Amino acid sequence: MLRTPNPTRPESIEQLLDSRLIAQISRLDLTSRKIFAGKLKGERRSKKRGESVEFADHRPYSTGDDLRHIDWNIYARLDMLFMKLFLEEEDLSLHIVLDCSESADCGEPNKFLFMQRLAMALGYIGLVNLNRVAVTTLGGAISSPAQAGEVSSEARRRGSSLPPSPPRAEGRGEGSPVPLASHAIRDLRGRRRTQDLSRFICALRPEGGSDFTEAAKRIALTRRGKGVMIVLSDFFMKEGYETGLRLLVGRGYDVFAMQIMSPQEIEPDITGDLRLRDVEDFDQAEVTITAPLLKKYKQTLAAYCGELREFCARREITNLSVRTDTPIETLILDYLRQRGLLR
Amino acid sequence: MTFATPILAAIAAAITIPLLVLLYFLKLRRRDVEVSTTLLWKKAIQDLQANAPFQKLRNNILLLLQLLALILALFAIAQPESEGGGGSGQRLIILIDRSASMTALDAGDNGQTARLDDAKEQAMALISAMREPGPFDRGDDAADQAMVIAFDSTAEIVSQFTSDRSALRAAVQSIKATDSPSRLKEAFRLAQAQRPQRFVENEGLDTGPGFAFHLYSDGRLPDAEEALPGSQDQVAYHVIGSETAANIGITALRAERAYDQPSQLSIFVGVQSSDRQRRSVDCELAIDAQTVSVREITIPAATAPTAGEGDGRWTPGSGGVVFELDQPAGLVASITLRTGDDPAGDVLDVDNRGWLVVPPAKQTSVAVVTEGNFFIADALAGMPLARLDLFTPSEFQNAISDGRDAIYDVVLLDSWLPQVAPGRTLPAGRWLVLGEVPQGEHGLIDRGPGDSAQIIVASRAHPIMQGLTLDALTIVTSRTIDLPEASPASVIAETQYGPAIVELPGPDFRAVVVPFSIMETNWPFQASFVLFLARAIDYLDRDVAEARAASGDARQFRPGQVLADRLPLGAERVVVDPPGDAPEQNIVPASDGRVVFGPLKRTGLYRLRWTGPAGPVDAVSGDRVSRVYATNLLDQDESDVPAAPGIILASQELSASETQNEASVKRYWPYLLLGVLAVLMLEWYIYNRKVAV
Repeated sequence: MLRTPNPTRPESIEQLLDSRLIAQISRLDLTSRKIFAGKLKGERRSKKRGESVEFADHRPYSTGDDLRHIDWNIYARLDMLFMKLFLEEEDLSLHIVLDCSESADCGEPNKFLFMQRLAMALGYIGLVNLNRVAVTTLGGAISSPAQAGEVSSEARRRGSSLPPSPPRAEGRGEGSPVPLASHAIRDLRGRRRTQDLSRFICALRPEGGSDFTEAAKRIALTRRGKGVMIVLSDFFMKEGYETGLRLLVGRGYDVFAMQIMSPQEIEPDITGDLRLRDVEDFDQAEVTITAPLLKKYKQTLAAYCGELREFCARREITNLSVRTDTPIETLILDYLRQRGLLR
Repeated sequence: MTFATPILAAIAAAITIPLLVLLYFLKLRRRDVEVSTTLLWKKAIQDLQANAPFQKLRNNILLLLQLLALILALFAIAQPESEGGGGSGQRLIILIDRSASMTALDAGDNGQTARLDDAKEQAMALISAMREPGPFDRGDDAADQAMVIAFDSTAEIVSQFTSDRSALRAAVQSIKATDSPSRLKEAFRLAQAQRPQRFVENEGLDTGPGFAFHLYSDGRLPDAEEALPGSQDQVAYHVIGSETAANIGITALRAERAYDQPSQLSIFVGVQSSDRQRRSVDCELAIDAQTVSVREITIPAATAPTAGEGDGRWTPGSGGVVFELDQPAGLVASITLRTGDDPAGDVLDVDNRGWLVVPPAKQTSVAVVTEGNFFIADALAGMPLARLDLFTPSEFQNAISDGRDAIYDVVLLDSWLPQVAPGRTLPAGRWLVLGEVPQGEHGLIDRGPGDSAQIIVASRAHPIMQGLTLDALTIVTSRTIDLPEASPASVIAETQYGPAIVELPGPDFRAVVVPFSIMETNWPFQASFVLFLARAIDYLDRDVAEARAASGDARQFRPGQVLADRLPLGAERVVVDPPGDAPEQNIVPASDGRVVFGPLKRTGLYRLRWTGPAGPVDAVSGDRVSRVYATNLLDQDESDVPAAPGIILASQELSASETQNEASVKRYWPYLLLGVLAVLMLEWYIYNRKVAV
């Protein structure tokens, strides 16, 4: 709830994920309720019949079919042309949307750190399974763009439909955080891109607010392929989360909305006559913390979370509320597997 | 209900109430806290306000409670009281009668408490009802102050003016009953002396606000009409005791010896009864602790007052008894009234006993020193003398030298003077000198025989010459004498040539001198001669009698009096043994042997004991000499115990006031402060309930 006085800013993957956890999650893979078509042939079976070594079915030849796929043995026996169909293996896009607004930098344990670690863990799982991994932020800043690796920002890409620029050469001096509407790293695949991912995630600094609707619109427009989209946020958005989620859920993405809340947000531990200041928009609320008010707050929070859950259920979004004091191992190894994100 | 300090409270209210409200409307200084989002909080607040229509009231209930507490506190500052006492305290003077009648056991609810205890209790109640100094009073002025005076025949300030109620209670508690009669006048005079004299400009001396006297007494105050309270003083008379109390007491006690039979002793006991019924009591006479006689006395009932006469009090009945004894020796007699077992029949105990110190029977012893003047011996033979001895001059000279003359009260010297040391006039003693002129330092001047003379002037006022005429006396050969200048001698009768009969006082002697020889006159043949001799011997003896009285009648005292006596020179280690359990007290006699002790507070026998020479009637036991003094109440007013429903002072008439008005000023501010505390605790509780996490 309260802004964390001196939040831990991880510098490397080792600080984000310890090696034991890495070892545990290396065995995991992303899963989806549907098999998605992808651009690169990966290790994932697609619903589409395609080029693969795994036989799927036969079908009668029709004009224009690839002659290479005619089953000549059948033709020899039956004197009829049949096409051999194979299961197409497709890769899966893992798109992690990370709330980098200042409100994330609150709570104890820190929500942003928790989201960083979760994003890193999920991204790592995606990378080792040769999925296409992308991370997009909502708001926030990059402490040193040079370290961030393959970064694209909305501002830079605005007005051009160029694909993400290749990873930049290192060696540019460290600059001050660059606040932007959103940052993104895309098209990472394979274990060797782990460092790029971790550099990007570590360079993120929560800052400013997040215009979720606007950011979701851009994400929806720019993402390619199909896959799993994981939104890590507290979803405490004054403008509302509905439009944004609605935009993200289209285009065949399987959306996970993970609501990250600090324990203090669930059980406030503040007392007295207070002037509460919103860290994002500096909105102020004068409250005298009383027992009825606290009771009301909890009711409001429960109602808010319930609305979110209901909204998600209606749109086949998997909603998951996570407290930041949940051990990340438990979250990944138990909860996410139960919810069908990982296997 | 009134307020002692309403203005102060109003000022405080004018300041504090707007301040509190102002403070309440001022924005609370809130702690700034950065939170991740205010979204939920704002919703919660909106919901809370929407859901609680009495939210405003809920917020304000703390203000209301604080206002209530403040108002209570302001009321406390105003010091509400049950009864208006004005802005300043009273000055109370509590007069408590501690006289003998206050020991009567007829007071209190059960009718068997001592009056003094009841008076103390009522005075305590008054003290408890005194206005305390309020928390906002400056000094002692606003509080009631009281002074406690206990009085019997004298008045004593037991406690000076103070508002310290515990000190006052302790002072009241320390008052002890005495056996003295009551005298109210001195108590009032003592109280008036405490009045501060204040000088007010243009008005002169001002005595300030009047005192509120509270008199706790049974009204047995014979001098009440002389007591004069100030014009602004209020006097409340709290009557103590019952108006119908019955008491029988000794009010008169006297021992007398018959003139002609000195061994015949008569003891008169006067008894008074305030009972409205006729009473018979036994009167017991004990001599030296041995009961010798019991007589019954019947005392008539007290008589009702006649309307419109007197002070409306019943007149006690009185009776008496005489004990006849044959007791030549000195004795200590004690008289006890046996009034029966019913305590209500005789509420006062102190007047049931009396003591008498009776001196030994004694009559005048006369020695006549003459060469044979038979006239003198004949003239004295008819007098009731204890002893009459005839001496010749030489025999008497011998008697002086071996001290045998000391047994004679009066010595008649006929034409002879004993030999004395040069410069002295006469030896110590009482002398009637006929036909000689004592000369010397304190003596007379002898001018020798003169002519025939007659008494022309006689001092009729002199005890010797009262009713005696010497007109018929013819002196054939007179003797002319002169009084030295500055001589203390006084002339009783004069001839035309000068003093004829002279009284000559000396340092250790007294003499009546008739310088001419009676044989040279026609006096022996006249009746006036016998009368003169008898009167002169009586007169000279009276000095002795007075000295004897000092050892007899003068040993009777009343409570409140001071025991004063003269001990023989050389008395040492003098102690007084008071009656009862009181401890002995040492006293140091003055250089002339005078001892003073007192005032005597209790009735009974006081024994004075010393080591050294004894007086003629003192009891000697070993090397200790003792002398007994009797102290008796013998007061008709004190023994007339029924409480007086009203008393009359010099300036006003008082009737018994109701005791209810004592519970006058009740102060409510402590209760209000308790209320403040309760409200604050409630407010604290509510606040905690509201903020509890």
